[in-house]
Amino acid sequence: MPVSSALIAHTTKLELVIRHVLAGLGHGIHAGRERGAGVEFSEYRAYAPGDEWRRVDWKLMARADRYFVREAERDSHVAVWLVLDATASMLEPSRSVEGLTKLQYARVMLACVAAIAQRQGDAFGLVVCSGERAHFTPAARGPRQLQRVLARLEATEADGVLPGSDTLRASLHFSMAPSVVCVAGDFLEWPSPLSDAIVRLRRMRHDVRALCLQTEAEVAASFDPELAYRDPEQGAQVYRFGRDVRAAYQRNREAHFAQVIKDCRQNDLPLLSAQIEQAPGEVLQRWLRKAVRA
Amino acid sequence: MNSLWWWALPVLVLPILWHRQKREQTKTAPLASARFLPAAQPKQLRVWRWNDPLLLILRCLLLATLIALLADLVLPWRGDAVLVVPGLDAAFVAKQAGTRERIDLPDRDAVNWLHAHEREFKPEARLLVLGDAAMPAVLPRFRHAVELRTQAAPFKGAERHVAVFSTRPEAWRRLFSAPGAPLRYVIDAQPGGKTELIVWDRPQAPPAGLRAPLWWVGDARAFPELAQPKTAGAIRYADSARGRLWTMDAWPLADVEGARALLASWQRLQYPPQPYTAPPQRLPGDAGAAAGPASGALRDWLSIALLALFALERILTHVRRR
Repeated sequence: MPVSSALIAHTTKLELVIRHVLAGLGHGIHAGRERGAGVEFSEYRAYAPGDEWRRVDWKLMARADRYFVREAERDSHVAVWLVLDATASMLEPSRSVEGLTKLQYARVMLACVAAIAQRQGDAFGLVVCSGERAHFTPAARGPRQLQRVLARLEATEADGVLPGSDTLRASLHFSMAPSVVCVAGDFLEWPSPLSDAIVRLRRMRHDVRALCLQTEAEVAASFDPELAYRDPEQGAQVYRFGRDVRAAYQRNREAHFAQVIKDCRQNDLPLLSAQIEQAPGEVLQRWLRKAVRA
Repeated sequence: MNSLWWWALPVLVLPILWHRQKREQTKTAPLASARFLPAAQPKQLRVWRWNDPLLLILRCLLLATLIALLADLVLPWRGDAVLVVPGLDAAFVAKQAGTRERIDLPDRDAVNWLHAHEREFKPEARLLVLGDAAMPAVLPRFRHAVELRTQAAPFKGAERHVAVFSTRPEAWRRLFSAPGAPLRYVIDAQPGGKTELIVWDRPQAPPAGLRAPLWWVGDARAFPELAQPKTAGAIRYADSARGRLWTMDAWPLADVEGARALLASWQRLQYPPQPYTAPPQRLPGDAGAAAGPASGALRDWLSIALLALFALERILTHVRRR
């Protein structure tokens, strides 16, 4: 049974959600260059929860009565970087699924990518843009890193606006090594320091994949006309929604995202627009495949 | 005049507006894509919702009660009634009244009482006035049909109590028993609550606690107030803390005509004239008649309600602020 987005709204444990999402996908989404256990033996390492059982050295276990994992000589030089936009606008809720926000959805998407990278033996790191700061988790391999990243994602709360260009540039010092950069956000602000950063990364020949999250209500332009609205990131200006302003809203929104798509095409940057009410498994598959094609 | 206060009822709109506006100012929801909406102020006038409906109702009730109190609200609750002037035979009243409500009037002035309380009667009520009702100066106009079934009460020989302090009490006693006097005079040994006249015919001053509406003073030296008296005919008079003082040079102790004239003067100057009895008649209802002055029938209840509502309103407001 494919996992629906309602599961994200009801589950607080990221690990549980990604296990369900990835179980529905099977293997071979992403053509990793690494096989988990290398051919050339390097060292033994203590077993940690999440390690594959087939990498446990059973003979050594029989001798030492403890689990050890054979570490192979790593020759991977690809790192996966997960960039999460956690500004206040990411708190936008789905108006049809109770308790589901863009932030929760983006968190699950990035956690799934992290889990896939961990299974394939790639190094992965995390950058969370929130409250005018960029929180940086350095890239590493292994199940412990996965737990670290998941904990970091779970602790993330949407707040404030994007960090400035200089802050973001300082956080992206990893751009020296070739890497895969997965960016999840709502891209309501474009151009922005974040858009500049990912365009620059793309020009430096990194494999950048952007996921633009929207809600069903935004696409259909249907909001409760009884309420007054305010932008969570901009001042105290109050807006109203009604039948008379619906067309203008749709026009403005389409013009904005047409510009986003145009900029991405110009820079050969694969962008997937997805609604958070869609099944996360399918969206993940489309996101990663689109990137492969591009 | 009081009913003009009903024009203040539109004040009730104020709390209704206040509560509505408060609602509008607080109710906003975040919307990430609000930047795509054209910059238009929300139409606040369309939504008619109120916060704190309980407090709103309390405040409206408070204002309405205050206005009702000021306007002296009177609810018509009396039906057909018989107004009975005091001093009438109970059996006669029962025979005339039948099943109608009986109202005992405080005094003979039935027209005045009816004028003040007319708003308490239902529009279709018929009224009957029984007894020795006083005749008004002009023909009264009422909204209800009123029948006056009056009869003059037989004059009862009224009596006045007198206390005499004198060295010649017999002479004073003769004066009060002069033939042809309009009333009967009772001479008390000691002055009490009923005593209306004290005759002080002694040279020394009277004791301090002695009081009466009228004093006849035989020896003016006993009262310093009589040093500079005013004059009316043969009588010289002055006002003191004990009551009004009369004195004459020669009291008509032996003169029957003079005594009768003195007693008549006392009656005329000290007591109001007795009204005539109104003639029996039917007064048709006149819808255009002016309403009488307010009767204040609900004033106490409205005051209590106002106090209770005010206290509740304060308590609720305080709870809301916390």
